[in-house]
Amino acid sequence: MEIINIIGIYNDPDDLIKGVKKVKEEGIAIKNIFSPFPVHGLPEILGLETRMPLLTFLYGVFGASVTFAFLYWTSVVSYPLKFGGKPLNSLSFIIIMFVLVIFVSVLFTFLTFFIRQKIGPGKKAVMIDKRTIDDKFAIVIEKDPAFTMEQLIKISNILRENGAVEVNEEIQPEGYKEERDE
Amino acid sequence: MYKTSVRGILIPGNKSYGQVANDILHPLEAKSPPPWWYIVASLAIGMTGFGIWGIYTTVTQGIGTWGVNNNVGWGMAIISFVWWIAIGHAGTAFSIFLLIMRQRWLTSITRTAEAMTVLAVICAGIFPLLHMGRIWNGFFILPYPNTRGPLWDNFNSPLFWDVAAISTYLMTSAVFWYIGLIPDLALVRERAVSKVKKRVYALLSFGWVGTARGWLRQETAIILIGGLAAPLVVSVHSIVSMDFATSVIPGWHTTIFPPYFVIGAIFSGFAMVMTLMIIIRHVFRYKDYVTQAHLDAIARIMVFISMFMGLAYATELFIAWYSAGEYEIFTFMKNRVTGTYTIAFWIMITCNAIIPQLFWSKRIRNNLMIMFAITIIINIGMWFERYVIIVTSISKDFLPSSWASYSPTVVEWANYIGTMGIFILGILLFFRYVPIIAMSETKGVLKETSNIEEVKHGNH
Repeated sequence: MEIINIIGIYNDPDDLIKGVKKVKEEGIAIKNIFSPFPVHGLPEILGLETRMPLLTFLYGVFGASVTFAFLYWTSVVSYPLKFGGKPLNSLSFIIIMFVLVIFVSVLFTFLTFFIRQKIGPGKKAVMIDKRTIDDKFAIVIEKDPAFTMEQLIKISNILRENGAVEVNEEIQPEGYKEERDE
Repeated sequence: MYKTSVRGILIPGNKSYGQVANDILHPLEAKSPPPWWYIVASLAIGMTGFGIWGIYTTVTQGIGTWGVNNNVGWGMAIISFVWWIAIGHAGTAFSIFLLIMRQRWLTSITRTAEAMTVLAVICAGIFPLLHMGRIWNGFFILPYPNTRGPLWDNFNSPLFWDVAAISTYLMTSAVFWYIGLIPDLALVRERAVSKVKKRVYALLSFGWVGTARGWLRQETAIILIGGLAAPLVVSVHSIVSMDFATSVIPGWHTTIFPPYFVIGAIFSGFAMVMTLMIIIRHVFRYKDYVTQAHLDAIARIMVFISMFMGLAYATELFIAWYSAGEYEIFTFMKNRVTGTYTIAFWIMITCNAIIPQLFWSKRIRNNLMIMFAITIIINIGMWFERYVIIVTSISKDFLPSSWASYSPTVVEWANYIGTMGIFILGILLFFRYVPIIAMSETKGVLKETSNIEEVKHGNH
């Protein structure tokens, strides 16, 4: 069955935030919000959180321990060889560990971003309104078949009264499967 | 915090969000690049061809084709390597000022600075590989299980630290650049008219659509990677300097080397960014994005760094005298300040510590032609700095019987000029196929900085 979306288009990020706040107050479920650049304050209103900082920290710990284990094993266990009278388990391992912590955590953070966001080379971009990539902002609300006419008019009015310049009803394009923003 | 009027309006002209893309994408969406593009590109291809000849000669005949000898083992290749790595420091430095110190006026500069970083590090990486002589054995530098024991690398060697630091730096700066580029490539994809272009940019933009969740993750990833890259600004060139500082050669064996190299790296990187920004501002008519205030601010930073450079040179001389080590005194006083290489030394002082002092004058900071000339002079000066450090110290070390002179051969010049060709070619391709100014980030600062008047009058 076709899914129909109600789309409120905004010209300004401040109006968008006002609109989102109001829609949430009224208890209407928001499906997605599109913007051409990150709108500050929006994730807080929507209650979006990301655990990426924690993951990056864990990658760093992982990188440090694997690097140290490798350096220790090669220099002390596998083939102990004295260089310049320095101890086998040398303090200067810190330099390589430092660099490789950055290497591992940057690379894994980068990959995590793509895996969590489910984007990558070859992914087809299915957009609900193409203008949102350039200069428009959009609130997308999925039209529930159980919505009464009154409810629909209410949603439309809420969007319009809070700065939406257009309110459109469109059939969802095929292949659209973005994660919900709420 | 940054909504003050200290920096004034960042992007003048009351632009709408839609206009930003129109303004920035015109070189990318033009049917064909302008004539000068072809002229510079053919010049760069010529330089690259010369470089390929140099690399071919080096690889097939060995580094006997270079001017290096038993005593002066590090010649042009290491000079060029250090020079390029230093230029590659500005991209990350700028991004860190933007992200961590919240200097949002740098928004319009970081994309170019990062592209420059990636290219410069690629150019730098060519030289150590060539210097191995037998490039096909280059994988020996990596620790891998082998049948010789297995014998592992010497992990206490700064040369191995270099391998780790530079490959990390290349990977980090490339990843950091690309992750910020994805939304802009998506915009190019949606605006593209031709089918091929649409396909290519659809592939490159990874299916980005710009949902709230996507932006949150993208921004978090940028801040995390930027934060991780921040220590690299200091560490990469410190590690390069340890190639010198951990040796016992007079003139190299000094504790000032890591900070001195890092400051020098940021100095030459800023100079190169300034060179590029002046070109971009002029040829692509980005006057509203790269304003006079931007160039003025970078010039002020450069005066500051230039004084640091002067201080570092003076400190080196002072410590050589104060240490009363006869080899140190000979190297600095008889072989740099005076002696065979005195010209190189004084070019270095003039270009890096004296000429940039002209930036104190507001009139000079407002004159783009003079600024452009000074930035080029600084990079020449920085080349001479490496020449002075490397050649003077090893051409006359402890035993006069083993003194040798060094002059680069045409093959070495070919390698150096070749990397310049690669760099220029890369920059030209960047101008033509990539949005030169970060559009999504520029849109983010557009409103905050153009309503400064409102903030003042208290209706915000």
